[in-house]
Amino acid sequence: MDRRAFLTTVAAGWMVDTILPGKAPIAGRIIGASHGVGHLVRDGGAPTPSGPPDRADVVIVGAGIAGLSAAWRLAPAGLDVRVLELEQFLGGTSTWGDDGAAPHPWGAHYLAAPNPEARAALRLLEQMGVVKGWDAAGRPRFDPRVLCHAPQERIFYRGAWHPGLVPQDELDAHDRAEMERFSRFEDELTERVGADGKPVFQIPLAFSSRDPDTLALDRISMRAWLDREGYTSPFLRWYVRYACLDDFGAEPEEVSAWAALHYFAGRKLKTPELDGSHFLVWPEGNGKLVQALSERARATVTHGALVTGLVAIEGGRVEVRWLDVRDRAPRRTHARAVVVAAPAFVTRRLFPSAAARLPTRTSSPWIVANMHVERPIDPDMAWDSVLYDAAGLGYVDARHQLTELSARTVLTYYRAYGGPDVVGARKGLVVAPWEQIANDVLRDLAPAHPELREQITRMDVCVWGHAMPRPRPGFLGEQPFEPLVLLDERVAWAHADQPGMALFEESQASGVRAAEALAPALGIALGSTWL
Amino acid sequence: MPQPQLPRRWVHPALLAMVAVIATSGLVYELVTGTLASYVLGDSVTQFSLVIGLYLFAMGIGSYLSKFLEDRLLERFVEIELCLALAGGLSAPLLFKVYTAAAAFRFALYGVVVLVGTLVGLEIPLLIRLLQFSVDLKELVARVLTLDYVGALIASLLFPSLLLPKLGVHQTSLFFGLLNAAVAMLATFLFPLDRAVTIRLRAQCLLIFGVLAAVFGFVTRFVDRAETVYFGAPILYTAQSPYQRVVITRSPRTTRLFLNGNLQFSSDDEQRYHEVLVHPAVAALGRDPRSVLVLGGGDGLAARELLRYPSIERIVLIDLDAAVTDAFRTLPVALELNGGALNDPRVTVRNEDAYKFLEDSRDSFDLAIVDFPDPSNYAVGKLYTDAFYHLLRERLSFRGVAVVQATSPQYARESFWTIVQTLESAGWKTAPLHVYVPSFGDWGFVLAGGEELAAPGALRIEPTKLRWLESSGLPELFRFPRDIGRVEAPVNRLNDQKLVATYAREWGVFTR
Ligand SMILES: Cc1cc2nc3c(=O)[nH]c(=O)nc-3n(C[C@H](O)[C@H](O)[C@H](O)COP(=O)(O)OP(=O)(O)OC[C@H]3O[C@@H](n4cnc5c(N)ncnc54)[C@H](O)[C@@H]3O)c2cc1C
Repeated sequence: MDRRAFLTTVAAGWMVDTILPGKAPIAGRIIGASHGVGHLVRDGGAPTPSGPPDRADVVIVGAGIAGLSAAWRLAPAGLDVRVLELEQFLGGTSTWGDDGAAPHPWGAHYLAAPNPEARAALRLLEQMGVVKGWDAAGRPRFDPRVLCHAPQERIFYRGAWHPGLVPQDELDAHDRAEMERFSRFEDELTERVGADGKPVFQIPLAFSSRDPDTLALDRISMRAWLDREGYTSPFLRWYVRYACLDDFGAEPEEVSAWAALHYFAGRKLKTPELDGSHFLVWPEGNGKLVQALSERARATVTHGALVTGLVAIEGGRVEVRWLDVRDRAPRRTHARAVVVAAPAFVTRRLFPSAAARLPTRTSSPWIVANMHVERPIDPDMAWDSVLYDAAGLGYVDARHQLTELSARTVLTYYRAYGGPDVVGARKGLVVAPWEQIANDVLRDLAPAHPELREQITRMDVCVWGHAMPRPRPGFLGEQPFEPLVLLDERVAWAHADQPGMALFEESQASGVRAAEALAPALGIALGSTWL
Repeated sequence: MPQPQLPRRWVHPALLAMVAVIATSGLVYELVTGTLASYVLGDSVTQFSLVIGLYLFAMGIGSYLSKFLEDRLLERFVEIELCLALAGGLSAPLLFKVYTAAAAFRFALYGVVVLVGTLVGLEIPLLIRLLQFSVDLKELVARVLTLDYVGALIASLLFPSLLLPKLGVHQTSLFFGLLNAAVAMLATFLFPLDRAVTIRLRAQCLLIFGVLAAVFGFVTRFVDRAETVYFGAPILYTAQSPYQRVVITRSPRTTRLFLNGNLQFSSDDEQRYHEVLVHPAVAALGRDPRSVLVLGGGDGLAARELLRYPSIERIVLIDLDAAVTDAFRTLPVALELNGGALNDPRVTVRNEDAYKFLEDSRDSFDLAIVDFPDPSNYAVGKLYTDAFYHLLRERLSFRGVAVVQATSPQYARESFWTIVQTLESAGWKTAPLHVYVPSFGDWGFVLAGGEELAAPGALRIEPTKLRWLESSGLPELFRFPRDIGRVEAPVNRLNDQKLVATYAREWGVFTR
C-alpha cells in the first residue's frame, strides 16, 4: 500500500468512526450457520434415540449443492427420498436471502459458463432454460439475460474506479509487462494437454490430465510458484492473491499451485456469445441453482435436523440418528441407502469407521455481509466492485441482472480469512459482536465509499466458520482424481471436500456420483451416467 | 494612532455609486447561486428559498460582526470589497468545478452563500460608519439604504432579462467580481490613505482583477458547450428525477428539452426528426396501424405524429421517467408542442422500465416506435442489445414493423451500424434511413420487420398534414452516401455492450 492509499484509508476510517456516530445507527444482525448446535456432534452431546423409527428409501444428510444434486439424480427413480438438513434454509454455502430490494446471495454468487465436460451442470441449465440450445460444434448457447451484464467488474485503484479487474492504463511498465506475461501463460495453459491427451486442467477436476509433470505443481504453493517463475510485480501478486482468496478463501502460500493455476486455466468454453462476460449470474447468486435443483428433486426436506450418527442395522438398512434442534429430541430414520453430503470433518464423526479414508481438509472461515442500501442510481454500475489492497474481496450488486433501475439495492460483501491460523480466525469471528463486524466492513470499503454508512438501511452478516475446503499443497493426495465415494455398501459421501475445491460443478458432480454409486445397493437402474 | 477619516461634508457621488454596485453585485451573487442550486439540485422553490434565507441571515451575521472592526476602517472597507470580488466572482466557476468533481456540492454552495452574504453584510454598516461624520445620520441612512434597495431592484431586473441569457452564470458572477474589484480600486483613489497602504491595496486590487479576468477568459473559451446552451436560453422548467436531470429551456422562438445535459429536441426542427421517425414506419407496415407501442418518447412528439392516423385505436407509451411525462402532460409550452398527445384518450402512458415491460407484457402491436436516449451509459445500452430486440419481436403482430432511433451515422458511424447489425442478429430484416436535423446533424433510424421489409415508396398520410416530409422525399432517406455507408460492426450483447464504448469513443471526438 503506498502512502497516499494509506492516508486515504486512515482518513476514511477516521471519518467513519468520528464524524458519523451522530447518525442513527444502522440496523442489522448476525444470521446463518448454527455453530452452537453443530458442535453437539463434535462434543458427543447427543443422546441415543428411542421410540419407533421413520422409514425412507434414501436419506441424504445435508441440503447443500451436493445433497440436492444427489436427490435430483435420484428423482427419475421415484424413490422415497428424505433430506435431513441442520439449518432452516436450503442450499448450504450456496444459500440466498429473499428480503429487501432484490433477492441476494449469502454465499456462492456465480457459475462460470460450464465446460462441456461438466455435463450434469449443463443438463440442469438446459432444464432451467438457461441453455437455449447447442451450436454446430456442440457448444451450449446461453440465454443472454443470464450472462453477467456489462460492465461485469470494476476496481478501485489509487483513489479512483476503473473498468475491469485490471486498470491497464494505471499500471506501471513492470506491472504491465508481468501481467502480459502471466496472461500469455494463462492462455497457453488453457490449451495445453498432458501426455495422456487430456487437458492439464479440467472442470470437474477429475477429468484433468494425470501427467506427472503438471501434477508436480500440487507439491508447491502458489506463492512458491510465483517466486520460482520470477514474478515480482506488486500488481500481479495482488491479482493472484485476490484470485486465491476469491476462489479458495486462502492466501497464495496456503494454496497448491496446481489449484491456483486450475482457476486461471480451467475454463475452456469459447464462443462469440461469451466474448464479454462468461459468468452466469442471478440476483440471488447460486441460490437460483439451489432452487432449480430442489424443485426437480422430488424429496422431502426436514430442516433443523442435525444428523449425529449412522449405524448399519439388520435387513440391509442404515439407521440415521438425528436430533430435532427445536426440541432437542433424538430421532432416527431407517434407510436402504444414505448419502452423507456434509463436510469431511462432519462425515468422520458420523461414520467413524471410514474416518481414516476420508481426506483431511482445512476449511477457511468467511464472512458475508448483505448491505441494504439506498443511493443515487449509477447507470454504469458494475456487478462486482473490487478494492485493490483491501482486506475483503469487495461486493456484488444484487440488482445488476435486473433491468429495472432502482435506487434501492442489496450489496453483498465478501471477506475470506486466508491465513494459516484458521482456528484462531474462526474463534475470533464466532464471538465477534455484530457491531464489530459491521464496522470492519464499513472501514474496509471506506476508501471508495466514505458515505456508505449513510446509505445503508440494514446490514446483516453471516459468519461461515467452515465455508470451503482449502486446496493446500498436496490436496490431490496419493491417488489424484480417484475420489472416495462409497464409505460402505450403503453409504456414499458427497461434498466439495471430496475434490477439495469448492465449485458448483464439483459439488454437483460429487452428489450425482454418490447417487449413481448407490444404485446397486438400492436395486435400481438409473440409466447411463449424468456425469 | 489617529485614524484616517473622511473629510466633513464630503459625500462624493462616486461613493454613492459604489454603494449601488455593492448592493447590485450582492444580489446578483445570490441569484447566481440560487440558479445553480436549483439547476443542480432540482426543486427550485426549495433551493431559492434556502439560498435567499441563508443569504439574508449571513448578511445579519456580517452586520453584527462589523462592530468588531475598529481601526483602519477605510483600509478594511477596501479589503472586504476585494474579498467579495474574489468570493462572489469565483462562486459560479468554483461551484461548477465542485459539482463535476464531488458530492460536496451542497456544502460548497451553502458555504459560498454564507461567505458572500457575510461580506455584503459587513459592507453597508461599515460604509455608514465611515460616512457618519460627513453627513447627518438621517440623511446618511436614507441615502445609503435607498441605494442599497435600488441596487437590489437593478439586479433582479437585469439578471433574468439580460445577464443570464446573454452572459450565462459563469460570466455574470465573474463580471460582478471584476466590478467589485474595480470599486475597490476606485476607493483607493478616493480615500485618504497612507502611501504605503495605498500601494499595497492597489497591488492587491490588480492581482485579484487579474485572477478574475484570467478565469473569465478561460471560462469563455472552455466551459462545456451544453452548459452554456442551458444558460444561453432561460430555463423554463427543471426537475431532478431519480434517473436524470430534466431541463426545458425557452428562448423567444425555440423550446428545447435536455436530459442530463443532452439535447433531446429543439422546437425549430423537431418535426424533421419525428416525422421521419414515425411516417416511413407506418408506410412500411403497408396497412392501417391499429395499435402502437412507443418506447421512450415521453415528450409525446412521436405520439402526436401517430395520432394523425385515424386508424390508430391504441398507443401504449412506456417511458421510465414520470418527471418527463408529467411535464409533457401539463406544461403549457409542452402542450403547445405535442398538442396534448399524452392526454389523448387513445394514449396510455406507463412509467416503467421498457426492458421489464417487454419481459412481462403479453400484448401485441402493429408498430413499435423505439425512441430511447443515445446509448451513452450501460443502463440505456441494455435497450440496444440483441436480447432486447429478441423481446421486442415477440411483441409485434404478424408483419409488424419497428423503428429504432439509432444515433447519428455521421458522428457515430460504427455505433449506428452496430445497432443495425444487432437488430439483424436478433432476426430482424432492416432498412436503415437518415435525415438531416439542423440541431443534431445527420440523424439515423432503422426500420425493422420480422418478415420481408422493403423501403416504402409512398406515405400513408396526406402530405398536407405534415410539415416537412413528403412521399417524393422518401427514397432520399434510405440512400446512404459512402461516407456514412455500412461498416463492419459487432453485435451489441448484454454481457459486453460494445456499443457503449464505441459510442463514447465516437462522440468523444466531437464533444471534447
Ligand atoms: C462465501 C462463499 C462464496 C462462494 N462463492 C462461490 C461461487 O461464486 N461459485 C461457486 O461455484 N462456488 C462458490 N462457493 C463454493 C460453494 O461452497 C460451493 O459451490 C457449494 O455450495 C458447496 O456445496 P456442498 O453441498 O458441497 O457443501 P455445503 O454447502 O457445505 O453443504 C453442506 C450441507 O450440509 C449441512 N450439514 C452439515 N452437517 C450436517 C449434519 N450433521 N446434519 C445435517 N446437515 C448437515 C449443512 O448445513 C449444509 O447445508 C462459495 C462458498 C462460500 C462460502
